Amino acid sequence: MENKTGLNVLVVDDERTIRSFLKATLKSKGYSVSEAKDGATANELAASLNPDLVILDLGLPDMDGLDVLKNIRKASNMPVIILSVRDDESDKIGALDLGADDYLTKPFDAGELLARIRSVLRRIQPGTSDTVYKTGKLTMDTARHQVTIGKEPVKLTPIEYEFLKMLVISGGRVATHKRILKDIWNRDEETDDSMHLLRVTVSNIRNKIEPDPNRPVYITTEPGIGYRLSEEE
Amino acid sequence: MLRQRGIKVLPYIISAVMVGTVTALCLLLNGHIDPANFAVIYIMAVVLSAVWWGMRPSIFTSILGVLAFDFFFVHPLFTFAVSDLSYLYIFAGYLAVGIVVSLVASGAREQARHAQEREQRSLVLYRLSREFAASDSIVEVAAAIKKNTGELLECSTAIFTGRLNELFLTDADADFPVDEHERAVATWVLVNGSAAGALTRTLAASKGLYVPLKTVQGTIGVIGLYKWDNGVYDMEMIEVLSGQSSVALQRAILAENARLEDRAKENNRLQAVLLNSISHDLRTPLVSITGALSTLKQDFDSMDASVRSEMLETAHEESLHLNRLVGNLLDITRVESGTLKINIKPCDLRDVIGSSLRVLKDRLENRKTVVEIEDGIFEVPMDFALMMRVFVNLIDNAVKYSAPESIIKISAEISGENVLIKVVDNGFGIPAQDLERVFDKFYRAEKPRQVSGTGLGLSICRGIVEAHHGKIWAANNPSGGASICMEIPAYIKEEKHGK
Repeated sequence: MENKTGLNVLVVDDERTIRSFLKATLKSKGYSVSEAKDGATANELAASLNPDLVILDLGLPDMDGLDVLKNIRKASNMPVIILSVRDDESDKIGALDLGADDYLTKPFDAGELLARIRSVLRRIQPGTSDTVYKTGKLTMDTARHQVTIGKEPVKLTPIEYEFLKMLVISGGRVATHKRILKDIWNRDEETDDSMHLLRVTVSNIRNKIEPDPNRPVYITTEPGIGYRLSEEE
Repeated sequence: MLRQRGIKVLPYIISAVMVGTVTALCLLLNGHIDPANFAVIYIMAVVLSAVWWGMRPSIFTSILGVLAFDFFFVHPLFTFAVSDLSYLYIFAGYLAVGIVVSLVASGAREQARHAQEREQRSLVLYRLSREFAASDSIVEVAAAIKKNTGELLECSTAIFTGRLNELFLTDADADFPVDEHERAVATWVLVNGSAAGALTRTLAASKGLYVPLKTVQGTIGVIGLYKWDNGVYDMEMIEVLSGQSSVALQRAILAENARLEDRAKENNRLQAVLLNSISHDLRTPLVSITGALSTLKQDFDSMDASVRSEMLETAHEESLHLNRLVGNLLDITRVESGTLKINIKPCDLRDVIGSSLRVLKDRLENRKTVVEIEDGIFEVPMDFALMMRVFVNLIDNAVKYSAPESIIKISAEISGENVLIKVVDNGFGIPAQDLERVFDKFYRAEKPRQVSGTGLGLSICRGIVEAHHGKIWAANNPSGGASICMEIPAYIKEEKHGK
């Protein structure tokens, strides 16, 4: 059943069981897998193998995973997904600010991980010149500047449209508050004002696109970090 | 209670006045009766001064009386010359009467004074024991010792307690000169168990007088006494005070030790409960997981596909459950140890509730949930992630303790300066006597069926809500089921005060 993607994933984790489980999961989806059990090996393999994606644990025996991330970012733009038991907002923001593409807390759902991997990889695949994005009943056509739920067109303000487009293009990756404020409002700081503006905007979009705004399914919140578009099949 | 040393002048003045008065009286009577009888009148003054003031004033009065008598009534008049030896006998008689009467009177007076002192001392003792009985902490006892010592000895006071030759200043009057040197003297007293400092032979250069509080086990404290005017002390009163104080302090120390021991025992008990609870609650889902997986491993090929997926479903569900348990254990440790980091910012309340419902998506699959947020509530200051834990716990509880087909309602309304949030179920409710205790650690309401959980969820919720300056309580609905209600301030409290 394996259809090879030809993509190589470097798994960095000191727990053998987690590595072997990740390896099995990833191989079944057609990725080839390399393993590193500490930071030094990870640095070496990241440089020599130039993998298409790194899955990185933060608690490594010889160094902090963040140092591996810094080291990788010095030389390369390769996608990095953090996989850690640390679930503090500050840890997550710290890793994302250092250039991690996404962050997943252990224990995690394998389906969720694979979805994140796909979204992250989409970033570096310039291939599709698609202008139509779909998730669930939500469709966004950037060429026609149109958003529909099912067949119903949705009227968004220019800011709301830009925000949604940003999430859609991020394709399931988390968009941090910082990045949203910078890209949409061109603001550098997370002031009370700008955060308020952001919350109002999100709330308004949800009222327009969510089937039940009390239980959003499209735009989901990462507490203290940002928002992401969840990918419904 | 200090007795003045030195000579009191007043008795002598009064004695002189008495002699003067007697002389004036005799001068009036002179010519009417024989002057020899005046001697008897003079002796009245001698007797009175002996009775009132004792020997010295009576001798003084005798001499003064004889001189006055001699001067005014004995020939040659208005000289101190004596022509008749018999007046010398009168003088000797005066002296004898004065001395004897003053001896007798002073004995009686001494007895009266002793009786008075005894009474006063027993009053002091009574008062001390009453005050000491009312206090059973070291700090309270020290305060009582300080107050009484200060009042009774008319000085400023410092109370030190000692442990293993180390001195602790427990209480002191503001004007007590506690400095390095004075502390050193007090420490010496603690170690050696005898008084030192001002007015003693040891370390007399210090400002204060330091008295040990001794028990059979050794010295447990030191009282420091200090008088601005370097006055003297009633040493007997100090004895009484220090004796009583030692007893009271010793009792307080014992009581405090007992309390510490109780607390340690209670901690041990809690730890035992915790261990029990953890091992039971962590093992329960593990049993399902291991069971399901080992069966799958053994009989995978011979199994029905539907059974296989059921087993996997169980293992998966229970592993999520296990993860929530571990999360709760981590949370309670953070709440308990005060390391809970809280970051209160305006949050879209609807988003907090919606995100919590999303976390519980699998668990709520077939449950009907209703969210009702009053118009006008948008942003509420809270810690998004922590309040999500609260909602997840409360909704999870509601699921656990109500029938699968019943509705769970989450509502928010404005209540004065607060937002009142409720999670309402239509379940079995909470026994009235348990409404408050459900928030206690490890407490779990009597349950109608086996429901698993650590009994930590609600105490975590309370910890988090209280960190938001809010309160949380439980109530039973008139129509059945329970409500957990929370009130959270709707506005961020201004930290600045009047600029």
